[in-house]
Amino acid sequence: MNVRRHPFAAGLSLLVLLFLWLPLIGVAVNSFNRQTIMAGWGGFTTHWYGLALHDQNVRTGLETTLEIAVASALLSLAIAVSGALWWRRASPRARAVYDGLIYARIILPEVVSATALFFLFLKIHFTLGLTAIVIGHTVWNSAYAAIIVQARMAGLDPALEEAAADLGATPWRTFRRVTFAALLPAIIAAGLLAFTFSFDDVVTSVFLQGASNTPLPVVILGMIRFRITPEINAIGLLVMLFTVTLMSIAVLIYATAGSLGRSGRRGNMLDIYRGR
Amino acid sequence: MTEAAVDINGVEKRFGDLVAVRNLDLRVEPGEFFSIIGPSGCGKTTTLRMIAGFEDPTAGRISVGGRDMTGVRPYRRPVNTVFQSYALFPHLDVFENVAFGLREAKVGKAEIRTRVGEAVTLVQLQGRERSRPRQLSGGQQQRVALARALVNRPEVLLLDEPLGALDLKLRTDMQTQLKDLQRSVGVTFCYVTHDQGEAFSMSDRVAVMNHGLLEQVGTPEEIYHRPASSFVADFVGTANRFAGTVDGVEADRYSVAVDGVGPRTAGGPAGLAVGTTVQVLVRPENLQLETDGGSADRDATVVDTAFLGAERTVRLHSPKLGELTATARGSGKAPEAGSRVRLSWSDEDAWLIPAADRSQP
Repeated sequence: MNVRRHPFAAGLSLLVLLFLWLPLIGVAVNSFNRQTIMAGWGGFTTHWYGLALHDQNVRTGLETTLEIAVASALLSLAIAVSGALWWRRASPRARAVYDGLIYARIILPEVVSATALFFLFLKIHFTLGLTAIVIGHTVWNSAYAAIIVQARMAGLDPALEEAAADLGATPWRTFRRVTFAALLPAIIAAGLLAFTFSFDDVVTSVFLQGASNTPLPVVILGMIRFRITPEINAIGLLVMLFTVTLMSIAVLIYATAGSLGRSGRRGNMLDIYRGR
Repeated sequence: MTEAAVDINGVEKRFGDLVAVRNLDLRVEPGEFFSIIGPSGCGKTTTLRMIAGFEDPTAGRISVGGRDMTGVRPYRRPVNTVFQSYALFPHLDVFENVAFGLREAKVGKAEIRTRVGEAVTLVQLQGRERSRPRQLSGGQQQRVALARALVNRPEVLLLDEPLGALDLKLRTDMQTQLKDLQRSVGVTFCYVTHDQGEAFSMSDRVAVMNHGLLEQVGTPEEIYHRPASSFVADFVGTANRFAGTVDGVEADRYSVAVDGVGPRTAGGPAGLAVGTTVQVLVRPENLQLETDGGSADRDATVVDTAFLGAERTVRLHSPKLGELTATARGSGKAPEAGSRVRLSWSDEDAWLIPAADRSQP
């Protein structure tokens, strides 16, 4: 008997999907709901969007979040790319240690790394605030970025860089025209991913924000503690659309980047349309 | 005397304990199609990589066009390489791949267009300028790699087994094309391969390497018919070797007592002393078989025959001379397995190899 076709399995799957998606659909629908208490449909309005966009707390929160996310993404990329460049020439033993540290940062519960950083910063009298949050985000963001960049680096034929040198390119030109160019899709994808993860982070931000401005997710958390209004739904839907778009772009770029060097002649859809 | 295109002087290369190349002296003449052949691990690719500048010699000196290359980085050397894996840039199209070196050399836009156009035409890839490498066949990729290197007008073109990844038919076609190309552009080619047939068909001169040592340098004919060592004799073709002793020297020929056969004469390298133990080399195509009777001491039994189209290989066993191989024209009646034949060869086709040469273990 096929387990996957069993009515119970199908029913359970449906239940899980409903459980996951209904709240999101609820958020989307209620963000346009005229009725403040959201007990029923009170007619269509975009009022809450206007309210959200003009809410000073939300605007400051968004600015803060964007600053943190951009800084953390760039810092993570710098760490991931330089790490990947080093990784290629490292001994197997050093590689194992490096890889272990990457996975540790991903496996480690966020609350643990956030608490640890919190106590570390107190101990060394490092003022909590935006910089502290950026560092906190970079701890795990750089690990995700490293995995993506390294995967592409592993497919890079070292002969390509020798070929560039052979054709007169200095080491710096070789890096720019060959190594970096080949890694670019992975770098963009990793950057978008890191940005997104940082954009919706609550835990690390709460621990490390200190007296600075509050990032948007923490602002939202504060708002629902106080009172749930359709304004939060509007913010939620906007954030959701934004992050989903970014993630889709990241996945798309990475998936259509094509193979590197030695293996295969896998064309993409566009090549077929061009009639090649 | 003109400057050598490549002059390798007492070069040694060690990787840790491994000696990849030892005490190598080589001179490649300008405009020459020069090949280095040998089994894998013989040091031929390492030698090429040292000329390109990817490896630094542990000792010795390499000059290109009379200029010492010691300490000169690859991007400053007047040589270009065609890589075994082609190493085409996957993110660039054919045009940009070929233009890569010219852009690095800051050549003007108009000239880049002209020269890339010429190079692409030279390798017959017109119309494919905007294709990506992965959209091309193996043979086409190989030609892009060639154009990308030649467009820079290098003093020496280095080729590292460039035909290794192609199938047999394409490889044969490309051999002809490469040879024609080299004649027409006049660039010095330095070609590395493990395939002696490939090297013979294209090269003006061939160097044979083994275990990091240079065994012999010469024209393909010299290498094939007058090998300096039993390693060379075996590496470049099938060799029948008979033990013997030099018992006389006259002009450029030797008289030799061949074990189990008797006194014969043969050519050989200069300087063999009387009494030297030698091996007498007779190539399979120079070994004649006669089916009618004969003196008992030359009798051999046919083990089997293989039909190869233009010719026929006959494996033989002789009680005195051991296992032998002969080739005969494909036409005519093949000797049957088990039949007894009389062996002979003419003295002009025999060549002496010192038995105690260094490649013998």
